Amino acid sequence: MKKTNALIFGYNEYGLEIAKNISSEYNNVTIFKLDDSENTIDKNTSLKVEKFDLSDDWSSLINKYNLEDSIVFCSLEDVAKNIFLTISLRSAFENLFIIALTDNNESANKLRMAGASKVIPIVETTAHMITDMLKKPIITKVMHDILYEESDLKIEQVKILHADFFDGKYPADIEWSRDHGVLVISVTHEDGTSEFIYSSKTKHHLIKNGDIFIVVGYETDIKEFEKLVGVENEN
Amino acid sequence: MSFFIRLFIDFAYFLNSSVWYQRKRRFVYNILENDDYKYKKYFDIFMMILIFSSVSILIYEVRRDAHDYFQFFNNYIISFIFFIEYILRLWISSSISKVIINQNEYSDLLGRKFNFWFVIKRVFKDKLDYVFSVKAIIDLLAIMPFFHELRLLRIFILFRVFKLFRYAKSFQTFAAVLATKKFEFFTLSMFAAIVIFVSSVLVYVMEANNPSSPINTLYEAFYWSIVTISTVGYGDVVAVSPEGQFVAVVVILSGISVLAFTTSLFVSAFTEKLEDIKESKVIQDIAKMQRIYIICGYEEIAKEVSKKLIRANLNILVLDDSLERTEMAKKDGLMALQYNPGSVDSYKKLHIDMSKQVKAILCLRQDDIQNVYSSLTIRSIDKNIYILSLLMNRSNKNKLLHSGVNEILYDKEFVGLIAKEYIGQPVAFEAIHAIRSENSTVKMEEILVTERISRTITYVKDLDNINYRIVVLGIYKKSSGRFYFNPINDTLLEVGDHLLVIGNYMFIKEYVKYLSKKMKT
Repeated sequence: MKKTNALIFGYNEYGLEIAKNISSEYNNVTIFKLDDSENTIDKNTSLKVEKFDLSDDWSSLINKYNLEDSIVFCSLEDVAKNIFLTISLRSAFENLFIIALTDNNESANKLRMAGASKVIPIVETTAHMITDMLKKPIITKVMHDILYEESDLKIEQVKILHADFFDGKYPADIEWSRDHGVLVISVTHEDGTSEFIYSSKTKHHLIKNGDIFIVVGYETDIKEFEKLVGVENEN
Repeated sequence: MSFFIRLFIDFAYFLNSSVWYQRKRRFVYNILENDDYKYKKYFDIFMMILIFSSVSILIYEVRRDAHDYFQFFNNYIISFIFFIEYILRLWISSSISKVIINQNEYSDLLGRKFNFWFVIKRVFKDKLDYVFSVKAIIDLLAIMPFFHELRLLRIFILFRVFKLFRYAKSFQTFAAVLATKKFEFFTLSMFAAIVIFVSSVLVYVMEANNPSSPINTLYEAFYWSIVTISTVGYGDVVAVSPEGQFVAVVVILSGISVLAFTTSLFVSAFTEKLEDIKESKVIQDIAKMQRIYIICGYEEIAKEVSKKLIRANLNILVLDDSLERTEMAKKDGLMALQYNPGSVDSYKKLHIDMSKQVKAILCLRQDDIQNVYSSLTIRSIDKNIYILSLLMNRSNKNKLLHSGVNEILYDKEFVGLIAKEYIGQPVAFEAIHAIRSENSTVKMEEILVTERISRTITYVKDLDNINYRIVVLGIYKKSSGRFYFNPINDTLLEVGDHLLVIGNYMFIKEYVKYLSKKMKT
């Protein structure tokens, strides 16, 4: 289910960049500033900025937002405070979806232990991007455009709801590009494990309802494909 | 000007401008003197083998009769090779043609007559300077066994061992390090010499007339003094009189201080020069490498990037002006120099051809000012080298672009884009991330369409990728610089295009082999 609120803890450049990129996806994007300890960034932003502290009093948050329908980003610059914030939120709200940012792998593990649903290790991710740019410049550019830029070419996840359409075929036996104009890269099974389309396991896996196909293609072709095999995107 | 002198000068100009002659001369210089020349080490090893075989034959001959072949090899062949080497070294030690040309131009400039005898004197002086250098004398002595009829000269074979100094770099380093303490060693030697001289004379005076003393001559007194001061003390020659024993006590105490002082000199010389030795070793290693990635600044992101590049077996050099960060890079097993990446001098000191040997320069300081400064410096040295830089503050993006950076990575924006993609397509994001991670067996790769591949595979329909369980995502066309997703079967493949494929890395390897080997049917 797509959430309607995005709550970003951390009034800093990371927080603002996240807000800028996700603002079109949510009805409400709010940035929370940790008292006065965070540097005020002089930006003409139309985003809502509120203050918060690291006490366990979340009443104002509960009163204002439906946390079941919210996604939270923890992006405080101080690693220890960011971990403390994550653990506080997790202990108060068991089902909250928390994405946390961190510098290094060591604190990434701590954040996972603290209850973050997804951790983005900034240094590791940036370094990975740099090495990809050096080692595989074309792939990196193409994938960057597909994943992050405004492009007709998309990577989408398509949940199979009409497996009977494939008439008992195996994923590797279908000529995806000829029949549907898309390329299926991998299949994510119901248990969450993901397999490459030509892996031995997928070759012997009959397509069934609930499978999620990771497809690359032009937006219109993907929409057509979705109409045939499922309906909505999984979120 | 006489005809002879005119001919002499013309010949000098001819040699100086002759490509053939200069190439030969450069080759000889490289093989004999240039440590950065890749074939020099083979020459050095060859010469060391000759030296060791020569000494081995000498040792063998002491108690046995060596075969005539060995003697011939030792006396003539090795000596002849050393003689040729000596002549070549003499040849490249100074350029005669340059001396003549310089003198001629000097004379022309001042309107004076060309001084032939001055040139001859100058040339002789230059060559004699070389002939009387320590290394050249050792070289000459090593040739002496050629005159094997003079039995005494055979011992000169041992001088060949000294030639090892020429070929083993570590010996030269050792000598260079000790040379830094020349004054201290000289002072110590003077002190030891005085103690030895005084004690020899004293003990001779006190012991020579004593019938029970084994010291009867000045030579024996000198021998006793050396054995005592060196703290060896064989005990074959000892002072027996109380006066002589008192001298012995003084010499023993002096010996302890001489030994301690010598040891500390060695240690301090090496400690002081250790960093220089390591630095010159790094520079030597770098000079021999190709496709080098220079990382300017060693902070958190640089650390991670280095780890990944090292895992990919790429050549990395870290430059950082901070001692602490340079040491950290060294501890992480990287080649690192404490050089300022923003100084032209730092790159000059590397003795590398930036355009040919350096693949990319990464400005990874987490400080925009430093990155702008470094990239401007690099751009001033080489207009075309690829520079990638981190951007820490969006407002500095134009400054970095203006400084000549090819590619900029702004991590905050990147994190924002990741967040957007993740919340939109979490399963797709994780699946793609898994494929792109280093540990995955499924990889995304670029396959370059080479001349060989294009000879047998003309169209996309010929690719046969399904049999290798590979997904061809698309083609990057070199001619248009565009990516064509899922190209139709009749798309033409041209040299320089890249196929973007996804598959198990073993299958991709096999597939590349298949593409290169496929025969036209």
